Parts: sequence; structure tokens; C-alpha cells
Amino acid sequence: MAWNEYSFGLLVVFLAALVGFMALARERDDLHKLLLVDLVEGASIAVIALLGTDLAEALILPGLVVGIAELLALSQLYIAKEGLAGVPPRGLNIEVVQKSPATVIIPGFLVVYGIVLSGFTGGGIAALGLVFYFMSHRFLGDFHVLELASGISWALWVAAFFVFMFAPAFWFLALMGAAVGILLKVITKISLVGVMWGEAE
Amino acid sequence: MNEIGGVPLFFLEFGDIVAYFSPFTLTLFLLALVFSVFVIVSRPEWQIDIAFGADAFFAKEISLPELRFRRFMAIACGLACMGAMVTGDVFDFTLFVSLVGICNVGIVAAVRTYHVQDAAYQYGLVALAGTVPLFSAAAIVAATTGTLSMLELASPAAPAVPLIARALLVLGVMGEGMAPFYAAKAEMFRAPGAPYVIMCSLSSLLIFLRVTEVVLLL
Repeated sequence: MAWNEYSFGLLVVFLAALVGFMALARERDDLHKLLLVDLVEGASIAVIALLGTDLAEALILPGLVVGIAELLALSQLYIAKEGLAGVPPRGLNIEVVQKSPATVIIPGFLVVYGIVLSGFTGGGIAALGLVFYFMSHRFLGDFHVLELASGISWALWVAAFFVFMFAPAFWFLALMGAAVGILLKVITKISLVGVMWGEAE
Repeated sequence: MNEIGGVPLFFLEFGDIVAYFSPFTLTLFLLALVFSVFVIVSRPEWQIDIAFGADAFFAKEISLPELRFRRFMAIACGLACMGAMVTGDVFDFTLFVSLVGICNVGIVAAVRTYHVQDAAYQYGLVALAGTVPLFSAAAIVAATTGTLSMLELASPAAPAVPLIARALLVLGVMGEGMAPFYAAKAEMFRAPGAPYVIMCSLSSLLIFLRVTEVVLLL
């Protein structure tokens, strides 16, 4: 079989994965093992990305979600296993971050820009702004509201996909529903990831 | 089509993703379904340890929220198994299999015993590493044949799937809970709380049976 760009790409990715696995075989610390596994996980996303088609883009999303879900589950398990649940979290103890108005302006800009972009990418950018805001300010609100919003917007996203499957005539409505649903879901979910560690006080 | 698991009885279409029920996949699906129903209706065990050399025993107490969480994860594992049994899409199969891996960790994650949690964590690391060959297999199948549908791949006219893709698929499923990595689960089974813990071993058996069919089909 002839060697083309795809084969070379595959070779590079598998070599990268091999390096990751070799590091994993030598590592003895549990937390570092988790970080290394996550690094290796990047190789599996790269293999899918090598397809270079629209299908690859559609496959990366669930692959990424499953990877993040496993990572979150294992890190929760690590916290429980090592008895770290009661350890008080430390915020960012940097004077500039605590006093400067930039910690409000930059997240505000990112959130607005994310909403304009919409979809998964927009959600990611807006969530990045929120994570930065939560890191620099102490948020004492109710996180269950965020979880609820995340769940409901996810249901909206799934409902939109059912419209695509069973009533394709209303595709525009479904497209808008899916775009807004995934935007809200990603914003709330990722900002939760950023602040969960502040809960244990 | 190549009728490894018998002639498909009916097809369930979700757009271009088709779940098919052949005698083989239907049997496995019903097995997962029946066991999930058992998990929903059954009452959990009280694990008793007999103290040697004395006329005494210890009953292990498990709190209700812990059991509820474990039942929820066992039902989720059953649903993931059912999906993996009937799906006709290679990538969906790999997703369902990795979902089974997470749920297996989740079933015992609520147990408040260090060695059980540690076993679950180590097994979870293997499961997470197993997604690399799993997703690679699905991606290589798509790259070489241009389709992920098992029904299309099973037809004689379909381009051949390279051996490396099949090998990676089997390796990935092994990582998600088959032998030899299955050994990492041994400590997990000692966790109190049957029948939920049995879902860990049943799901491994089911995905093992299904992956043989998938590999022979491709």
C-alpha cells in the first residue's frame, strides 16, 4: 500500500501515543497517571481528526465528551479515594486579579463574543470567560441553578435532533434549537467544571 | 449480508444509523434488558462477615443514598449494554463500550472502602487508555472503507477492513473490561451490594460476545 499523508499522520499519532504509554508504564503516582492517560487520550482524538472530513468533526465531539466524562469521573474518584474532599480550596491569591476591573471586562467580552459565535465553539469561549470570572471572584450563588440550566439546555439539544430525524421539514427550527441548546449546555457545564472545587468549604 | 448472527429480524432506523435485531443481537439485548429489570426491582443484599474463632458476625451497613447511586449507575450500565448489543454503527459501538467502562467504575465508586476505590480507579485508568485503540479502530474503518455502517461493511461488495482496525477494536474492548485487564476488576466484585456489582461482570461478558460478532462481520 502506498504511503500518503494519511499514513504518515497515522504513524506520527501512533508514535505520540506510544511515547505516552511508555511514560504511563513508568509512572507510579496515581495523579500523574491520570494526567498522562488524558495526554494519551489526545492521540485518539487526533486519529479521528486525521479523517479530515465533516464526519470527523461530528465524531470528535462525542469522543471528546466521553473522554472528559471519564476524566471527571476518575478525578472525583481520586478525590474520594485520597480523602481530599474536606480540604479547603485555595483561590487565586493575586492582588491584580482581585482588584482589577479587567476580571469583569475580559469575561464580559468573551461571553458576548461566545454568544455571537453560538454552537459548541461559542459555548467553549463563553465558558472560558465564566471560568476566569469565577476563578478571580468568589461566587456564592446557587450552583444547582447552573446544573439545572445545563440539563434543560441539553434536553433542548436532544429534542432538536429528534426533529432532524422525524420531522426534517422543520430543520431550521431544529438547527436554531440545537445551536442555542449546545451553547447554553457548554457554557454552564464548563463553568461548573471550573468552580466545582470551590464547593467544599 | 454476511449472516454471522442469523438473518436480521427487523431494523430500527435513526437517520443513517441503523440498529438491527438478529437472533444473536436480540438474545444479547434481551439478556441486558432482563438483568436491568432485575436491578430495578430487586432488593440489595446485606453482606455478612463471619468472625473466625468467635460466635459473632459483622453486618456491613450501606447507606440508602449510596445504594440509590449504585442502582442508578447499574441501570445506566444496562442501558449502555443494550445500546452496544444492537447498534449497527462501528463508532456508536465504541462509544457504548466506553460508556460501559465509565458505568462500571461508577457502580463501585460510591463504596467507602479504600481498596475497592483504588481498584476502581486503576481499572478506570485502563478503561480510559482503552478508548485510544477503540476510537482509532473506528476512525481507520471510516478512513479505509468510507462508511461506519456494519450492514454496509458486511455486504460482500464492501471494501475489506484492514486487519489492524479489527485488532485495535478487540484491544480497545479488552481495555474496557475483558481479560487480561479484567483482573483489575477482581477487587471491585468484593464490594458489598449485589446485584448491582454483578452488572460489572455481566456487561463484560455481553460486550465480549458482541465484539466477536462485530469483528467477524467486518
